[in-house]
Amino acid sequence: MSATQERPAGPTPVEEKAPSRLVPVGRFVLTLLRMPSGLFGVVVMLGFVVMALTAPLYIHPDDLSVTQATGPLLAPPQHGYPLGTDPAGRSVLLLVIWGSRTSLAIGVMATLLTMVLGATIGLVAGHYQGRTGRLLMHVTDWFIALPGLPLAIALAAVLGQGAASITIAIAVTSWTGTARLVRAQTLAVGARPFIERARALGATDTQLITRQVLPNVMPLILVSSTLTVASAILAEATLTFLGLGDPTSVSWGSLLNNAFMQGAVTAGAWWYLIPPGIAILIIVLGFTLVGRAVEHALNARVQSR
Amino acid sequence: MTMSARGSTRWLSRRRKVAALAVAGLAAATVLAGQLGASSAQASSSSDTTLTVPADTQMTTFNPFLSYYDGELNVIGAIYPALTMLDNNGEPIPYLADSWTTSPDKLTWTFKIHPGLKWSDGQPLTAKDAAWTFNLIMHNATAATSNGSLVANFKSVTAPDDTTLVITTKKPQANMLYLSIPVSGIPIVPEHIWQSHVAGLKNYRNMDLPVVGYGPFVLTGFKTNQYAEMTANKGFFLGAPHYDKVVTNYYSNSDAAAAALTSGELDQIGGLTPAQYKAMSSRSNVETYQTQSNGWTAIEINPGAQTRSGKPLGTGNPILKDIRVRQAIALGINRQELVTKVLGGNGIVGAGYLPPGYPQFFWKPSASEALNYDPTRAKQMLDQAGYKMGSNGVRVAPDGKPLEFRLGIHSDDATDAAIAPYLKEWMSAIGIKLDVNAMSFDQLNNNLAKGDWDILMDGWSTGPDPTYLLSIQTCGTLPEDNGSNGNTDAFFCDKKYDKLFAQQQTQFDAQQRAATIAKMQSILYAGNADLILFYKNGLDALRTDQVTDYLQGTKAANGFYPLQHGFTSWWKAAPVAGAATASEKASQQSSDAFKWIGLGVLVVLVVGGAVFLLRRRTAAERE
Amino acid sequence: MSLVVQPEVPTVSGPEEGPERSDFWVYLARKVGAAIVSFIMLLVVGFIIFSLMPSDPVSALTRGRPTSDAQMNHLRSELGLDKPLWERFLTFVGHTLSGNLGYSYEYHQPVSTLIADRLWPTLLLMGSSTLISIWLGMWLGIRAGWHPGSALDRSASAVSLALWSVPTFWLGLILLVVFGSGTVAGIPAIFPAGGMQTHGTAGGLALSHITDVAWHLVLPCLTLVAVIFAQYVTIMRSSIIDERGNPYLLTARAKGLRDEVVRRRHAVPNALLPSVTVIFLQIGGMIGGAITVEVVYSWPGLGYLTFTALRIPDLQLLEGTFIVFSAAVIVCNLIADLLYRALDPRVRRQ
Repeated sequence: MSATQERPAGPTPVEEKAPSRLVPVGRFVLTLLRMPSGLFGVVVMLGFVVMALTAPLYIHPDDLSVTQATGPLLAPPQHGYPLGTDPAGRSVLLLVIWGSRTSLAIGVMATLLTMVLGATIGLVAGHYQGRTGRLLMHVTDWFIALPGLPLAIALAAVLGQGAASITIAIAVTSWTGTARLVRAQTLAVGARPFIERARALGATDTQLITRQVLPNVMPLILVSSTLTVASAILAEATLTFLGLGDPTSVSWGSLLNNAFMQGAVTAGAWWYLIPPGIAILIIVLGFTLVGRAVEHALNARVQSR
Repeated sequence: MTMSARGSTRWLSRRRKVAALAVAGLAAATVLAGQLGASSAQASSSSDTTLTVPADTQMTTFNPFLSYYDGELNVIGAIYPALTMLDNNGEPIPYLADSWTTSPDKLTWTFKIHPGLKWSDGQPLTAKDAAWTFNLIMHNATAATSNGSLVANFKSVTAPDDTTLVITTKKPQANMLYLSIPVSGIPIVPEHIWQSHVAGLKNYRNMDLPVVGYGPFVLTGFKTNQYAEMTANKGFFLGAPHYDKVVTNYYSNSDAAAAALTSGELDQIGGLTPAQYKAMSSRSNVETYQTQSNGWTAIEINPGAQTRSGKPLGTGNPILKDIRVRQAIALGINRQELVTKVLGGNGIVGAGYLPPGYPQFFWKPSASEALNYDPTRAKQMLDQAGYKMGSNGVRVAPDGKPLEFRLGIHSDDATDAAIAPYLKEWMSAIGIKLDVNAMSFDQLNNNLAKGDWDILMDGWSTGPDPTYLLSIQTCGTLPEDNGSNGNTDAFFCDKKYDKLFAQQQTQFDAQQRAATIAKMQSILYAGNADLILFYKNGLDALRTDQVTDYLQGTKAANGFYPLQHGFTSWWKAAPVAGAATASEKASQQSSDAFKWIGLGVLVVLVVGGAVFLLRRRTAAERE
Repeated sequence: MSLVVQPEVPTVSGPEEGPERSDFWVYLARKVGAAIVSFIMLLVVGFIIFSLMPSDPVSALTRGRPTSDAQMNHLRSELGLDKPLWERFLTFVGHTLSGNLGYSYEYHQPVSTLIADRLWPTLLLMGSSTLISIWLGMWLGIRAGWHPGSALDRSASAVSLALWSVPTFWLGLILLVVFGSGTVAGIPAIFPAGGMQTHGTAGGLALSHITDVAWHLVLPCLTLVAVIFAQYVTIMRSSIIDERGNPYLLTARAKGLRDEVVRRRHAVPNALLPSVTVIFLQIGGMIGGAITVEVVYSWPGLGYLTFTALRIPDLQLLEGTFIVFSAAVIVCNLIADLLYRALDPRVRRQ
C-alpha cells in the first residue's frame, strides 16, 4: 500500500470478507478501545493530530524563523533546547512538532487520492465484470508488480519537485491494494439480493454504484485508509529525503535530508537525526496499530455472525 | 583541493564545483567481478611513498579536449605540460616556455620552448607539439569542446623551429599568459600519439596506460570513478616531485572522504562542510585550514530580460526593472548573517564581482556606493518609489500588482536550500513576497536562458584570468531574437561596461588592467542584477603526521591561505619522515582487527546456516 | 499492496484435460506470455514518462554552451527527436531489446555500461541481506508460529512491527552516525562511513580485499536485514500456524516423536513451500529499501546510480535504471509463479 515500504511484515491484509453493513459505531469503538494496542494507536494518532493542528497556538513564527533564531548553532540538547538546535540555531523540538503538519498533510492527502483512485477503479472493475473489469484488473495486477520507489522517483522527477508531485507519486504507486480490495467487496455486494432488486426497479449502473454498492464498501475503504496513511507518511519521508520534496518546507523528511546533506553524520549531530525518525516511527506505529485493531474488530464481528 | 584553479572559461564551472564532492557525486564503480585479476593500485615496490588525495569530481575521461570536471582536469594538468604556470601569487611564470616576447603591435607572441625535453615514451617534445595542439583546437569543432573559447582570438599558431612557438592574434590579448596553464588552461599533447586519435576524438577517453605525456607525473593507473594513479617523473626539468606516486581517490560522499582522512587513508581533503570542518579541527594530527575563495554565491535579479536587439524576452516580473526595487532588495539582505549561519563563519561577506582568491582583482565598494544591510532604508526607498504596503504585508506597485517574485534555487544544492528561508524572511520584512521554487540544474538554466525568471540563485568560480566571468555580463552575450546563442549570466547590459571590457582585453599592464576591471565591478555593483551574497572559503584539512610542504604561500592576516593549486601542491608536497609508506598503510588497514571481525561475522553466519541445515538432516535421520 | 502479494494460484486442471506434460507447457507459456506483456507495458509506461515529458534533451545536452540553432537541429535529428512519435517508440523498443538503454551525457558512457558496472555491488548487497534475512526470519518465524502467543512470538511480532514503522534510510543514518562517525557517545568509528572498499587495497580474491568489502558491507547489510527480516518472520509464522492444525502432525506426535522433531521433520518442510515463492515476490519491495540504503552508505550500486541520476537529472539514466529495476521484478515474479507450480505438490500432480 505504499510507494516505498512494500513490507508485508506490517499490517495484515484487510480480509476481503468485510461486513456489508456498518457496525454500530458505539460497539465498534468499544471493541477497538478494549484492545490495548488499539487504544495506544488511537491515543498516538489523536495526539499527533491534535499536536499538528494546535502547533500554531504555541509555536510562534519567530521560533521557526531562521533570521530570528537565537539559539547556538547545531548544538546538543541543553537548557531551553531539549532536543538541541539545527545549523540555523532553531530548536529541533519545535521543528519536529511543526514538521508533523507537513508530513501529516501529505500523508492524508496522498491517502485521499489513493482511496479515490483505488476505489473508483475497484468499483468499476467489480461492477462491470465483463471485458472492462478484466482489463482493469490486469492493469492493477501489472501495477502491483512494479517496484514502487523507482516508479515514484521517476514520476516525481518528471513532475518536478514539491509536495504536489510527491503526493501524486505516492497515490499512483499505492492505489492498487485498495482497488483489489474494493473490487472483491464490490463483487460480494453485487451478489446480494438487494442489488438485484434495485436493478429490477430500473436503477442505472451509476445509481447502483453510488447508492447501493458504495455505502456498503465504504467501511472497508475507511479501514484500509488508516493503513495507507501510515505507509504514505513513510513514503513522504523517503521521497523528501531523496531530495524530491520542497527543500524549504519543514517536514520530517526534509529535516533528515538537511541533516544528511549538511554533514550531521560526520559532526555526530545525533540530536538532529534521531527526533524526526522517532516521530515517524511513533506515528506510523500509531496508524498501523489502529488499522490492525479495526481489522480485528471487524473480523471479530464477521466471525461472530 | 576543491579550491584548485578552475578555468573561468569553462561554462560548466557554473554551479558544478559547488555541487561536486558533497552532493551530486557519482558512485565509485567497484565491480567485484571486475576486480578479479585487476592489478592493485599500489602493487609496486613497497618503499614507494604515495600522496593520496580526494578527486574533486568523478573521473570518466582524460581526453584533455573534452574533459571539464575538476577531478579529471587536476590529473590532466599534472600529466600534460603547458606554456606557463602560476606562482603562489597567481602570476604566470615559465613552464614549457622559458621566455616570451610580444611584437610592438601586441598581435604577435613569440615563446621560447625549453629545449631537449622528451615525452614519457622518449620522443622529443618540441614547439611543433604545441603548435599542433593549438591548431587542432582552432580548427576541429570536437577538439574545441572544452577549450575552444580560449583560442577564439587566435589567428595563427606556428612553430618555425623546435624551440620557437609563434602565436598571432586578431586583436591584442592581454590574458595570453593564462591561456595555457596547468588544470584550467590548454594542455599540450604529443602530436605523434594524438594525430591517430583525431578521427575518433569524440569517443576517445585516453586510457591507454601509461598515458604518454610530460609533467611532474605520468598517469599509470586508473579505474573509472574510483581512482587515478600517477607516478612521479623523477627527471622533471623543473625539479623532481618528492612523492613517488600521487593517487586521487573518488569519494561519492563527503562523509566517506572525511572518514578516510581520519583513518589515514587520505593525506588531504577539501570541500568540507562547516560541521565537518569543526569536527576535524579537534584532531591533533590534522591541520584544518581555510583557503581564499575563487568563487561566489549570489542571487541574480531579472533586470528585464531582452534580446541583443532589445526585444523583451520571457515572463520576468516587470517590477524588477525598477532599479530602486533591486536596490531595496540588496539593502534588505543581511549578508553577514548568511556568512555566520549558513557558512558557519567560514567565508567573506560578498560585494564585488571577482572573488578574494585573486587579490589583484578583488574590489570593494566605497562607503557611499555600498548597499549594506539596512531594512529601514529599504522600506523608505520602496515607500518613496510608490510601492505602498498592502493589507496582507505585501507591497503593491502603483498599477496594483503585488511585489511578489519567484525565487529559483538549485534542488541539488544544500547551500541554496539553506539560504532560501533567510531571503524569504528578510524580504517579507520589507514587504516583498518570495515564492521559492526548487529546480534541477537544467531546468533552472533553461528558465534563465528564456528569461522566465524573477530571482535566481547563482554561483560561479573562476580561474586566475577573469575574462570569461566578466564576459557573461556583456551585451554581446544576450540571446539573439530567436532566443538562441545567449550566454548571459543575468541579462545585464551596459554600454559603458562593454567598452571597459574591450579595453581591459588589450591592456598589457597588469595594474592598468586591474584598474579597468575595478571600474567594471563598480558598474556591476551599481546595476544590482547580481547581488553577491558571499565568498565561501575552501574548508580543507591535512594530515600533518603524514604530509608536509603541501600548503603553498603564507597565511593572510585574516587567517586564510591563498588559493591552492593541486598541480603545485602535489609536485611540492613531501612525505613526513617515518610516516607509513603506501604498502605499509595498506597492510595496516587490511590487518585491522575490525575487518577480521567482519569476516568472522560472515563465517559464523555461513557455518551457522550450514549447521542449522545439517542438524535438520541428522534429526530426520535419527527419527 | 496489503500483505503479501499472493502468487496467482494456478488452476488445477482436471485429469480429463490431457497429460501432465503438455499441461505444464501450457502453464509455462501462459506465464511467460504474461511476463512479456508486462514487459511491453513497462516499455510503454517508461516511454510515456521519460520521452513525452516537457523537457528538451538537446538543451540539457548542450547545457548553456553557445550553440547555434543549426547545431541544435542537427542534434535533434541525430537523437531522432524530429521523427513521429510511433517511430520514436519503435526505435526505443528496438534499442531497449538489444540492450541499448541510451547514452548518459553526464557520464560520457552508455547507460547499459553504467548499469552493468553497478549491478554487482547491488546484487552483493541485496543477496547477502536477503540470505541473512531469510535465515533469521525463518528461524524466528518457525519458533514464533509453533507457539503462538508465547513470549518469543509476542516479542518477534512487536519487533517486526516496530521495524516496519521505521524509514529504512533513517535506520541507516542512525547506524552510520553511531558506528561510522566516531563522534557519538565515545563509540569509535568501528565501521567505514561508506563506499564498498578501501581505496588502494589489492583487488581480486585477495583475502584482504574480501575482508575489506565484507567490512564495508556490514552496516548497509545490517540496515536492510533489520528492515526485511521481519517480513520473513511473518510469512513463516503464519505458514507454521496454518500447518499446526493439520492432522498429520497429530499422527506424527502419536508416533511418539519429540515436539522439536515434529516441527522440523513435518511442519517446517510443508510450511516452507509457500514461503519460497513469496521470497521471490518480495524482491520488488526490497529494491526501494536498497535505493535508500545505498544512498546513505554511498554503496556504488544501482540505487545510488539512480539517486545521482535523479539529482542532475540525467533522464536517460533514470529511464535505464527504472526499466532494469522493473524488469527484474517481472522476472522474479515469473520465477515465483514457476517455483510455486514446481514445488507445491498440491498444484503439481503426482
